[in-house]
Amino acid sequence: MRFRTKLTNAETFSKLTASLSSLGKTCWMRLEPGNIRFTIIPDQGTQVWAQLPIDAIFDESSYILESNSGGIINLEVPIGALHRALRSAVDAKSAQLRLTQKGRIPLLALTIRTLSWAPGSNALGITTAAPAPAPAPAPGTGPGSGSSSHDPPTITNGPTQAPPPSTTTTTTTDTTTGPARPGRERETVITQEIPVKVFHESAVEGLHEPRCRDPDVHIILPSLGQLKSISERFTKLASPGHGFASDAAAATKPTATGASAAAPKLELSANMHGSLRLAIATDALRISSVWSGLVNPSLDPGQLSQGEMERLPSERMRAVPGDDEAGWARVRIDGRDWGKVLSVGRLSPRVVASFVHETALILYVYLPGTFNEEDSCLTYYINSYAA
Amino acid sequence: MASLSFSLSPEAIYQLHDALMCLGKFGDNVSFEAEFDLLRLSVLNSTKTAYAAFAFDADKFFESYSFGVDRRNMSAGVQSHKFCCQVLIKALVSVFKGRASGRNKDTSVERCEFELQDNPDETECLLVIRLICGLGVIKLYKLTYEPVYIQHATFDRSRATNEWSIEPKFLKEVTDHFGPSAEQLDIYSEHGKTVFTSFTTKIADGKEILRQPVHTSVAIDKRDFEYYLAEDNRHIAINLKDFKAVLAHADIVHARLTARFTTPCRPLQFAYELEGVKSEFTLMTRGEAVEDDGPSSSRAAAPQLSARQTPAPVQVSQQRPPATDASRMPPPSSRSRSLRPLTGTSVGASQTPAESQRPQPPVEFDSLFVPADDDRQWDVPNDEEAPAEDELGWDATGDKDTFTASLRTRVPNEESEAAEMDQEEETGIPPTQRISQLHGLGLFD
Repeated sequence: MRFRTKLTNAETFSKLTASLSSLGKTCWMRLEPGNIRFTIIPDQGTQVWAQLPIDAIFDESSYILESNSGGIINLEVPIGALHRALRSAVDAKSAQLRLTQKGRIPLLALTIRTLSWAPGSNALGITTAAPAPAPAPAPGTGPGSGSSSHDPPTITNGPTQAPPPSTTTTTTTDTTTGPARPGRERETVITQEIPVKVFHESAVEGLHEPRCRDPDVHIILPSLGQLKSISERFTKLASPGHGFASDAAAATKPTATGASAAAPKLELSANMHGSLRLAIATDALRISSVWSGLVNPSLDPGQLSQGEMERLPSERMRAVPGDDEAGWARVRIDGRDWGKVLSVGRLSPRVVASFVHETALILYVYLPGTFNEEDSCLTYYINSYAA
Repeated sequence: MASLSFSLSPEAIYQLHDALMCLGKFGDNVSFEAEFDLLRLSVLNSTKTAYAAFAFDADKFFESYSFGVDRRNMSAGVQSHKFCCQVLIKALVSVFKGRASGRNKDTSVERCEFELQDNPDETECLLVIRLICGLGVIKLYKLTYEPVYIQHATFDRSRATNEWSIEPKFLKEVTDHFGPSAEQLDIYSEHGKTVFTSFTTKIADGKEILRQPVHTSVAIDKRDFEYYLAEDNRHIAINLKDFKAVLAHADIVHARLTARFTTPCRPLQFAYELEGVKSEFTLMTRGEAVEDDGPSSSRAAAPQLSARQTPAPVQVSQQRPPATDASRMPPPSSRSRSLRPLTGTSVGASQTPAESQRPQPPVEFDSLFVPADDDRQWDVPNDEEAPAEDELGWDATGDKDTFTASLRTRVPNEESEAAEMDQEEETGIPPTQRISQLHGLGLFD
């Protein structure tokens, strides 16, 4: 079983893992020859099924994947730890991810090289006629070959009284890179080893995406940032005690059943005439925000025949006039869970929301720059609560 | 009876505040040691694995400084040439809270006066702090102190074989990559790189693979160091939280950090100096005490060892014939002399010249805290049949790659140490001392 690749888009990968980690602690990561899938199935709350073409985050030419089960590797990954590790890679020059093993523990090892500029203070005031800064040594050749030849003497001769530091530094600099320079590039190599579990293919056979009937309304959501701030404000207003105390308590154990059951429910509804409504109601208040002029995307006509197309619920909803309440599909969702879902907004994606009236909300999150939508999509399945 | 009073300029108040914040990361109480030419603030943490000290120079740091001892009337905490007491750090920090931002206000602090009252005729054990502010405002704080006997970590710089120096910001970049659960830090160098690896000693349930800590290692070029004079492949591990506390302060004051150490399981010291302030942090290290067995034991056997003043590696006794070992043992009286400074009469960081020049027996230990060391014996019993996980916890290294070798070699070593210890007992070496030396996990051995 082998998996190794270079990261081409560590920032996207990092943001993706950040969004996923808000919904669950562990993530099923399925590596396939052309795709990579991330799935989070929490005990309670929103499921995410994400699929990306490998070139969205990995370097296709260095992507090596071998396994006995049809070139597919299934991993269970602590997604928070992966995200934390990837943060080191965001500004890196290069980053490589590979599956390895230490003892009996399988690991995802992330090796990151970063370059930064070191100001010339390290030259210790040595003012030998320094020419223009020598180019930074090529990674892998400079430091290794240069230093190993002269380091041992330094150590064995090292007297117990600290010798004048400048001598050593001078020799080091001289032998490796020529005369002292006003500044140089520093290379740092960071290795993050994240313990993972490897699943056999048979262990994940039973897992499949939730199925539900054809949605009643499709609509492209407005800016997730806006939606998130309004949702959070509504949730906070309706929270018991109208304060932060309950929020904070629930945040510490987000999966605790009691906490989320008590959380306020947002009512989200939309129609096929470009309107989306976010509302919340309690004994004390009832507020709503309405967006209009949004786009209701049409389904790909190539996949459905004309007859099937007409029989779709969404087409029936389109026929209902815009001012008729019957044209609205409505779901009730957990305010706090919705906030976690909307954290995917950091990827600034285009999001299509599909409403199954009183049943479920499905979000199709398309990453920017990858509008080959079949390939690269995060699907969020959110159950509707009964009124 | 002792009298101590000093005053601080606003600039010095900020420095004192920064130092107190740093000390607060090591313990709850700060020890004051007043001498004629300096005031030392220090903290020894509760597990006695870390010691942090700031020595403020009487002339350079303070606006005025006066210290006197009345020898006819000695009270607790007063010795012939110094006075020691202990104050709660939180209380002391709260005195300066918010002062750092008040520079431009009319009532910002213009001067700070400390006065210690140790007079039986007046109120005893009071530390009076007077903040003289603008517009004639005076803020008065009275804290109680506790006279104590202060323990120092001794660290003989002349015997440190490894030393490096670096700008703290580079190390801060390194520690930024570590996860929040990382507890320990392993440092070593090879091929011109210095590698910092974080690991956690907590024994995780074997089945809970996903709960295992993430290991992070960061390799930086040796050229990032001002100078790097440490043996390659010499793994040394310290507590990451302590390391971060040191870095945070060194970074604030823009001081270049110097580390000195000998071998794993012996103390490591970080030090830096500012105008009028000397900072020292002595930390316990862990790791594999035996690494390059051959060379070090042969070196240790060389007659000129003591003249060269290289510290004797802890492990030398393990492979040397006990007879040789015993012959090198100093007479008991000299051993007890070497321990004496540790009880508080000597200056912490550097031993007196006479002392450091005295021939050092190979297994001499400057352990201050023998009782703390002995604590370790309670953990040992299952060493021989210990399963791998136990050994992991023991060795304080979750990092299998790094320390697999040590895990394997440790058990036989313990056995041979024990056997040797028996023999040495016959030659009259006090057993408690030997155990603490051989186990050598404490900071001060």
